[in-house]
Amino acid sequence: MNGIIIAMLLALLIPIYEAYRDSHIWQKMLAFASIATKTSMMILVVSVLRDDWMIGVVGVLILSVGNAALMLLAHVIKRSDEAGLYEP
Amino acid sequence: MMNDLWNEENLYIVAIAVLLPLTAGLVIVQVNPYYALVMRGILGAVAALVYALFGAADVALTEALVGTMLSITLYAIAVRSSLIMRLGIIEPDLPPEDLLQTLRQPLRPYHLRLELVPYPDQESLQAALEGKEVHGICFSQAAVKTPAPQYEIQTRVPRLYQILSGHLPLEKMAILNPAPPLTPANSL
Repeated sequence: MNGIIIAMLLALLIPIYEAYRDSHIWQKMLAFASIATKTSMMILVVSVLRDDWMIGVVGVLILSVGNAALMLLAHVIKRSDEAGLYEP
Repeated sequence: MMNDLWNEENLYIVAIAVLLPLTAGLVIVQVNPYYALVMRGILGAVAALVYALFGAADVALTEALVGTMLSITLYAIAVRSSLIMRLGIIEPDLPPEDLLQTLRQPLRPYHLRLELVPYPDQESLQAALEGKEVHGICFSQAAVKTPAPQYEIQTRVPRLYQILSGHLPLEKMAILNPAPPLTPANSL
């Protein structure tokens, strides 16, 4: 159990570093999408390993809600992008 | 409890809990408000993971629904509508695009967006400035008959005058000093 989670944690560190390093807004959004999916997948794996279905249901909900938040934020940022705030 | 946490079986919980202060530190160092919002989303995802690992499924769900989705969306809309300079212009007499670019240049370090609000004539433009519909107005000097028309910006916000003055090409675009001192009545 430890090995799987530690491997997933190491995979999670890659997009966190990417979000810190990259200065472009869409690169940060990509990192956010990656992290939101990875964390909810970790919740699902932990719920299966612990055989705890309460956490499992919450993991599924977070998986869908995290992507909904991403889409809402992306829409607002896209409108600002069209107004010329993020021209290089 | 502490011994429980530090044994090898539960090592991964400690490793994941360390991510929480790490991502919180990343939120703090952001300068651009939009970048900070994206980082807040990342912090919310990691926080939901930590809460679920500690068995608090209800707290994790609330963090994802309210702390991440709702607060990010509301803050994004608030940032988008407050960090803005509304500039009234006369519709057929648009300033050329390169002048607008030079106007955007000094606004960029403050993450201010420039929004153009068109008006049909000079009277409604002045009325919009006095009625506080816009932060500033831009009009061309009709009296000056030069090949390139000179534009003038009049703003009622002293802080915008401070930001913009000294950054504009004076032969093409001038900015008028808002005469009255800063009082609650003519602030933003």
